[in-house]
Amino acid sequence: MPDGSPRLAPRAGCTFDTLAREKKFKSPPEKESVIPILNEFVTPHIESFNALFDDSGLPSGDGDGRGLLHLGLEDIGKRVVFDGRGDIGAESGQRGWGNRLSMWYEQVTVSKPMVSERDTQAKERRVYPSEARERLTSYRGRMMVKICWQVNDGPVEVEMRDCGLLPIMVRSARCNLRGMSSGELVRHHEEPEEFGGYFVINGNERLIRYLILPRRHHVISLVRPSFVNRGPSYTPYAVQIRCVRPDQTSATNTLHYLSNGSAMLRFSWRKQEYVIPIMLILKALVSASDKEVFEGVMMQDYGDTFLSDRVELLLRSFKMYHLYTGDQCLQYLGDKFRIVVNMPEDWTNQAIGVWLINKVVLVHLQNARDKFRMLLFMLRKLYALVSKSCSVDNPDSPQHQEVLLPGALYGMIIKERLEEALNGFREGIALDVRNSNPAVDFYDKRYIKKVLQRTSYDIGAKMSNFLATGNLVTPTGLDLQQASGFTIVAEKLNWMRYISHFRSIHRGAFFAELKTTTVRKLLPEAWGFLCPVHTPDGSPCGLLNHLSRTCRIVTAPLAVSHIPALLAAHGMTQAFAPSVDGRRNLCVQLDGRLIGWAPAAVCQQLATSLRIWKTEGKHSVPLDLEIGYVPVSKAGQYPGLYLFASRSRMMRPVKYVPNGKDDQVGSFEQVYMDIACTPAEIEDGVSSHVEHSPTNFLSILANLTPFSDFNQSPRNIYQCQMGKQTMGTPATALQHRTDNKLYRLQTGQTPIVRPMLHNTYGMDSFPNGTNAIVAVISYTGYDMEDAMILNKSAHERGFGYGTIYKSYTVDLQELTGSRRIATTPTLHFGFGPEIRTDGEKAHPATLHIDSDGLPCVGARLNPGDPIAAYVDDTTGRTKFAKYKGDEVAYVDTVRLIGSDAGDQELQKINMTLRITRAPVIGDKFSSRHGQKGVCSQKWPAIDMPFSESGMQPDVIINPHAFPSRMTIGMLVESMAGKAGAMHGLAQDATPFQFTEEDTAIEYFGEQLQAAGYNYYGNEPMYSGITGQEFAADIYIGVVYYQRLRHMVLDKFQVRTTGPVDPVTRQPVKGRKRAGGIRFGEMERDALIAHGTAFLLQDRLMNCSDYSTAWVCRTCGSLISLGYDDVSLGEMVIGANGSLKPTGPGGEYCRACRAAAEEEDTRARAALANGPARTATNGRSADMRVAIGSQFVLGPASKGGDMDIIAVPYVFRYLCAELASMGIKISLEVQ
Amino acid sequence: MNSQPSQNYGSNSGFQNAPAPRQDMEYLCADCGAKNEIRSREPIRCRECGHRIMYKKRTNRMVQFEAR
Repeated sequence: MPDGSPRLAPRAGCTFDTLAREKKFKSPPEKESVIPILNEFVTPHIESFNALFDDSGLPSGDGDGRGLLHLGLEDIGKRVVFDGRGDIGAESGQRGWGNRLSMWYEQVTVSKPMVSERDTQAKERRVYPSEARERLTSYRGRMMVKICWQVNDGPVEVEMRDCGLLPIMVRSARCNLRGMSSGELVRHHEEPEEFGGYFVINGNERLIRYLILPRRHHVISLVRPSFVNRGPSYTPYAVQIRCVRPDQTSATNTLHYLSNGSAMLRFSWRKQEYVIPIMLILKALVSASDKEVFEGVMMQDYGDTFLSDRVELLLRSFKMYHLYTGDQCLQYLGDKFRIVVNMPEDWTNQAIGVWLINKVVLVHLQNARDKFRMLLFMLRKLYALVSKSCSVDNPDSPQHQEVLLPGALYGMIIKERLEEALNGFREGIALDVRNSNPAVDFYDKRYIKKVLQRTSYDIGAKMSNFLATGNLVTPTGLDLQQASGFTIVAEKLNWMRYISHFRSIHRGAFFAELKTTTVRKLLPEAWGFLCPVHTPDGSPCGLLNHLSRTCRIVTAPLAVSHIPALLAAHGMTQAFAPSVDGRRNLCVQLDGRLIGWAPAAVCQQLATSLRIWKTEGKHSVPLDLEIGYVPVSKAGQYPGLYLFASRSRMMRPVKYVPNGKDDQVGSFEQVYMDIACTPAEIEDGVSSHVEHSPTNFLSILANLTPFSDFNQSPRNIYQCQMGKQTMGTPATALQHRTDNKLYRLQTGQTPIVRPMLHNTYGMDSFPNGTNAIVAVISYTGYDMEDAMILNKSAHERGFGYGTIYKSYTVDLQELTGSRRIATTPTLHFGFGPEIRTDGEKAHPATLHIDSDGLPCVGARLNPGDPIAAYVDDTTGRTKFAKYKGDEVAYVDTVRLIGSDAGDQELQKINMTLRITRAPVIGDKFSSRHGQKGVCSQKWPAIDMPFSESGMQPDVIINPHAFPSRMTIGMLVESMAGKAGAMHGLAQDATPFQFTEEDTAIEYFGEQLQAAGYNYYGNEPMYSGITGQEFAADIYIGVVYYQRLRHMVLDKFQVRTTGPVDPVTRQPVKGRKRAGGIRFGEMERDALIAHGTAFLLQDRLMNCSDYSTAWVCRTCGSLISLGYDDVSLGEMVIGANGSLKPTGPGGEYCRACRAAAEEEDTRARAALANGPARTATNGRSADMRVAIGSQFVLGPASKGGDMDIIAVPYVFRYLCAELASMGIKISLEVQ
Repeated sequence: MNSQPSQNYGSNSGFQNAPAPRQDMEYLCADCGAKNEIRSREPIRCRECGHRIMYKKRTNRMVQFEAR
């Protein structure tokens, strides 16, 4: 190695760590994970799932540590049914309800996935995900629920009900892989880096994608013209709050402003929307007097006539209801909603009113007074919005957004299914009572249990279905805007794509249909939370985003119950203070609860103090508390101090400048902060925070693009997409994977030029490309338009060599001929006795299939070869399953799959087929800078240009690829790679490392010079053909090249003849069916314009549905062909009475012959009856060809004037179709 | 089910119980790697650990492809 200049002193991390990696791969660590950070980035998935259970391992926060399922059971409450006998148990005092049977849930348990009880042999009772994958089953654990019931006030009866097998998230608290080290994971056939976060459903890995939801517990103001359509006097103004119950189910309340100054509260109940005057709710909540409401909204700002006018109208307009007390309001509500809510019949109207308000109005608050205060705040904000003293909030901004966590959604669905099941249980009994079923006896345990058994409780199957399809079947809608598309397959196409799934976040299917593009905009509020680079282009652009590298989602509940007291001690006026001046005071809210009031200056003080306390851990203020201080502004966002401590919020780490401590910043508060990107950018008195690293706003994938700061930004977007389409290393446990399709690059290398994060995320375990010597030269003429030339010798040495693994299942149970119900299967793998398995006349299938009927491992399969043999007991014959692919494949693995309990004979095999894919002309490659190209030639090495040191490029690309695309990063990578290869350095390509003064060119140029190359990376080169030196120096260096999965072998579509459509006889479409490419209208236009009539004829007629048809020259019909059997020598009488032969095959026109025969009979009749009538009955058909064949000279016969013409077959079909509607087509033949 | 004409098998009606004479096949347990001899129509289960997946061993036939 040449001597390095002082600049070459190795920087930290510039080694490839080859030996350390090899050691780790050979013996994965037994105590910890190989790359701990990979476990971190799926924590929101796993912890949100864990939160379902009581033993989640999460801090309990303000709650008692109960899981979401448990909290959900509490919220479901009791169901009541009466038997209509006797008259006791009447809570309302009414008589005649009969015995009161109430039922409720007490507990729900989910066990870890275990081997079925029926299996007595298995030593390992636990089931691991790899088994579920390999057996193509789901990874599920048993779910049980404890149902209690009670008759009147009698003893409580308890019954455990089996709810089926519930899919379990891998590596969650209910997974058998929980907390395993890399070494243990490898022993259980997982990747050493396995991080879980997904479900295994029918052998596929599926995950619930993050979804963006409106931020909970924060009132946002909306102006939507569509609100006007809700009814008379509705206006576009509204405020909205999304409230979340402790079990993470939510309900949205919207307060609409009416043009008469009052407001209506809108909520939805079982997908139906209802509106209630806000006054009714305010009164019902706390029996508020008119004065209380007036003072509460006005807050001493009596000078504001806008406000006072509206409050007055609000109060006056409610007078027409004649409801004066809270109880009256509750009774009124209960009366109106009794039918809707379906609560026990013996409840009073008032009880139903209370229950309704509890269930739908500001559900995050338990206390009626808190709800009242919050509604008053909403009213004030609504009036402020209408008076234009505050601005509209943008619901598309991450400031007002949070994340729907997979576990929370899962818990919501389980809760709803349980509730439905309990309703079903109640309905079952109620139905029996209605039908006066004699079996009904509330005191008979067996009867109750019988009804319980009858009720459908297979929640596990419903959850499996949800995960397998992503479709949500829900009677309530779950306060979500979509009903499908919640789950996706975690494709292991390559490692980059795989990990991206877990960081992807979708805006919602609803927004995908929206015509406006505002929701797709990249907003400055998203900085640091959503990656600006990593989004697909095309239809999901801006809707499908990826979380930035350091963005976290809060999953642990926080302990904040002491915060109100703490704030009150530091100058906040308590919420219950009798008189607060609304002009001077701002409200202080904690998770959507009004906890007090304070002047703006005090609020700012409080915000600063809280931030110092939380960063320094004082007063036990949690670090994840979000302190959103919205300052007073002129018609800006509604001011106040909004604190958020709930889950599902996006937060990210930054450094707090005043004390230099780590801080977590949320998307709400970030808007009002000044966060410097680098320490150098900190402005005194302005910057509050500074980024830990300037690259933190990028996603993992965007961070892996080398020198991305040198590239034009769309090129980085392209690289994020192409990185995910690369043929790389999907997994190291390939042996145990059954994915439908896996792409694998055989010769993966670690990139010489890579950002530091490449090591942090352990990307070296899953190489994604090859370091190639790339010359930028226009050399062969085959490199235009983004084509690239491969060095043939490089190709022969394995450059870009790849393999596809396809899995194929033969399930005898699914094949026809097997009786599903039968306990003993009728199909068995193996050969029947009629198949010769040895000797010279052995059956050809034995070439590929062993005597057990299964394919030989290592066999080479051609399209259509048999891959499995099975015997049908009923017929005794041997049948074969065939290889359906259209490429040569090799049998890689054959798995014999036993039944769940391991007690059945072989019915299902799964095999992995290996398809080799050496690079061919037409395959797609790309560098890491959005520079993709198609291989256009494999150029012989002897004809390749060579440098003075004798180097030949592996890849040649055209210089035109650079000027318009401005991917300077690729040029820098080329230099850095060349220098790195020469000096043995792993070059750090982290963006934002170089400056105007300290340039990358200089740094790598000096390294190149030290290695004996030109400073700028260009070299004199010689033509491989003539041996002459080129006039210009050629830019040549080392660039990491990815092979993309788009290969010609999967795409080419060509046919001469092939399958045709049975109706039109035109070629079918679709590559899979060996169809053709459509030669469409515009292509036709081109041929016409060129005057290439022969080509037109050839394409559209001869190569399509050419056909010949008999046409009658007389009547011009295509469809009246008839045959005479000429073998019998039948003749037809011509016009002159002599016998004439028909067409050569006996063809004649049935229409014309019938007409002629009719003419004859008429003529005879006329002869018989006298000549008088003949004139009137003459034929008067108006035809193009009107001259009867009799009158034409020549061999015209009656219906015998047939001719053959060439017409497209569809035309004949058209004639037949039209004839069926009574329309005749007549052709003129010339 | 029996739709196929069985002229060829007219004499061979009592087929079901005819045990096919064939050698045992050896498979590898996917969990513990133990060799298992599983006869035709025996349940798929490892004798050592009771696991329910087996791998087929690589064929011992000569595998030869034409090199082109």
